[in-house]
Amino acid sequence: MGLRWFHFAAWGLFALGLALLPELVSKGTLRTLIFANYLAIFAISWDLLSGRTGYISFGHPFLIGIGAYTSAILTKRFGVEVEIAIPIAVIVTMIAGLIVLLPALRIRGSYFALVTLAFMELMYQLVQVIRPDLTGGTRGMSGIQTLTRGAVNGFYLSSVLMFVIAVAAWLLLRTRIGTALTALGLNESAVEGSGLSTTKLKMFAFMASAFVAGLGGAFYVHYLGSIAPRALFDINFVFTIIVAVLIGGASTIVGPIIGAFFLTFLLEYLRPFLPGAERYFIYGGIALLLYMYQPKGIYAMVMKAWHSLHERATK
Amino acid sequence: MKYAKGLGLSLAVSLLASTALAEIKVGFIGSLSSDTGLSTLRGAEMAIQELNAAGGVLGQQIALVTADTGEDVTEGVKAYEYLAETEEVDFIISGSIDDVSLGWLPRMQEYQIPTLDTWTSYIGIIDMVIEDPETMAPYFMNIASDEALATLYISFGADVLKAKMGWESVVILAEDTAFGGAITGLVTDALGPVAGIEVKDIITYDINTVDFGPIFSKAKATGADFIYQVSSVNPQVISSQYVKLQVPMPMTGVNVAALGMEYWEDTGGAGGGISTLSPVPSVGFDLDPVSAQFVADYQAKYSTRPSMPHFNGFNAYHGLKQAMAAASEAGGFQDVKAWNAAMLKQDLKLEKDGKLWLRYGFWQHGEVEPVTGRTYPQNGLFDLSPPYEDAQPSMVVIQWKEDGTVGVVYPFEYANTELELPSWIKN
Repeated sequence: MGLRWFHFAAWGLFALGLALLPELVSKGTLRTLIFANYLAIFAISWDLLSGRTGYISFGHPFLIGIGAYTSAILTKRFGVEVEIAIPIAVIVTMIAGLIVLLPALRIRGSYFALVTLAFMELMYQLVQVIRPDLTGGTRGMSGIQTLTRGAVNGFYLSSVLMFVIAVAAWLLLRTRIGTALTALGLNESAVEGSGLSTTKLKMFAFMASAFVAGLGGAFYVHYLGSIAPRALFDINFVFTIIVAVLIGGASTIVGPIIGAFFLTFLLEYLRPFLPGAERYFIYGGIALLLYMYQPKGIYAMVMKAWHSLHERATK
Repeated sequence: MKYAKGLGLSLAVSLLASTALAEIKVGFIGSLSSDTGLSTLRGAEMAIQELNAAGGVLGQQIALVTADTGEDVTEGVKAYEYLAETEEVDFIISGSIDDVSLGWLPRMQEYQIPTLDTWTSYIGIIDMVIEDPETMAPYFMNIASDEALATLYISFGADVLKAKMGWESVVILAEDTAFGGAITGLVTDALGPVAGIEVKDIITYDINTVDFGPIFSKAKATGADFIYQVSSVNPQVISSQYVKLQVPMPMTGVNVAALGMEYWEDTGGAGGGISTLSPVPSVGFDLDPVSAQFVADYQAKYSTRPSMPHFNGFNAYHGLKQAMAAASEAGGFQDVKAWNAAMLKQDLKLEKDGKLWLRYGFWQHGEVEPVTGRTYPQNGLFDLSPPYEDAQPSMVVIQWKEDGTVGVVYPFEYANTELELPSWIKN
């Protein structure tokens, strides 16, 4: 797995930093961090599937939304305990992940991206018209049970969730399966030629991604306390997730976390100065510059700087 | 001794400085790029300007901060959190649309910040007030909720469409959205049966439709007496094509674009003959002197669209003043229970020609509205029965004429014009 002590030291420092943050920053900043944590979870989920295997999903909110809606409906409409509703939501999302897998067995590239987009659009329409008494229809639902109250508790819960998911995904991708998934993204035919089952590998990637999406979606809805089809099954939501991964650095796990934090903070910190939609021009401009300067994302820039410093120090 | 004097002086200066800086902070939540959001924002700005000029509230000046939602649900939650935790506002005024309000409501319940919604009319929120009055104590909605809007609209079907126009059958042209589905349900389940109007067919169209020719042909083939349109997305397209194609059938319904004065310009002058439901006060609505003065001041202050505030601009202007009056009585916004009690007592009656014309007050807890037989606590007052002596009707029906003018056609007590057929049908 190629694990070194400094890997764990880095993760440990990250965890320590997260743990100390409530002592150092305002509650408003903690609220921003909570959204950054959830975006990081969704970005990791997308990265597990699309970053590694090359199957670009434009319909990832389809999975996140299923996790969120399942848990919301179970708790609000049927009075199911949230501790039971969340695992059920994850299982349901993984089953939905299998549905997304089916087209991936036959098509890839832009065709696959469009099919996943269609899944999301389909879900957007369905939750509005099928049993609106359960889903809340176009307006969605409010008053969903929340797991925490206050910025500090919400921050700790989302941080622990994000941290555990990130470390687990990082470890997973350092195994032989992770290497095979990367190879799948580079040359699927070669992987097939080497005797590995690409179907099983794809199924693993889709299931892992759906697991994270479902878990993140379920916790997210119990943080928000509300849910609406426009909030989840929305093209802007897809783009936010993909941009977070690309800005941070795809196929790295750490990159999507950096991208999610960068993106969320950039938009929130611009709010007092540019309260309207102008914020998005700045965000678009910075994203464009980053892509032009370093298409591999901020993580690659940081690593480049680190290696350069390391080389100078050893000379 | 010297140090003690210095310390005392410093304390006095700090105290004076903090007194001078003390202010009541109002947060606006809504879209900063839509006519809807801007109407609420500007109504609030004008109320604050007047209150500050008169010395402020509780000896403090009022400051306004904004948080854009972009009409996005998640951005709405972030915006509410920003106002509560970063700006630490005392009061929030909202121009949010339905699902955005539902999105931030759990935050309002958590922070317990007094909040006034000026646009959202979702009855489900009033139901939340009934179910959980304690955590919903900071919430007020000063537009008539949608159940009240729908109830009066059904009367329009019976009084005008059937009785006056003599129309007995309808074909519904509804956009393929949940809004379209909901209104279609209202027409088929309530308006049709109550008014005795037969629904011949329901034609659902995609919101991206650019050519309505075949759809209008299909509608005509049903043999219905009139078309009922339900359009909230790109509504100017269907109405302008109706005029340009001179469709030989009358058309009424719900057209969201027609609620603003910009409708005529947005349709390129091809929007005549279209009628739609609108909350009060609408475009084309005769205004009382106070509201007329508000519009005059608004137009003197703002040169960009919307050239006339939508109904929620009026709600924000009067509602913010009422919220501040309630805060004065309750000693501020901190004691939510006291503020809630004071807010429930607010009652602004505006008269026109000696008659009650508009009333800004709230339904009390347990107070039953006689027509619908239910309660509407913390919802803006409305009256569903002519002659509307207790308050204004929950909605009016307006019609745009072919010369670009607009007027109210229903209820009759508020009407300043009559529902007319377009010239190409009349001729």
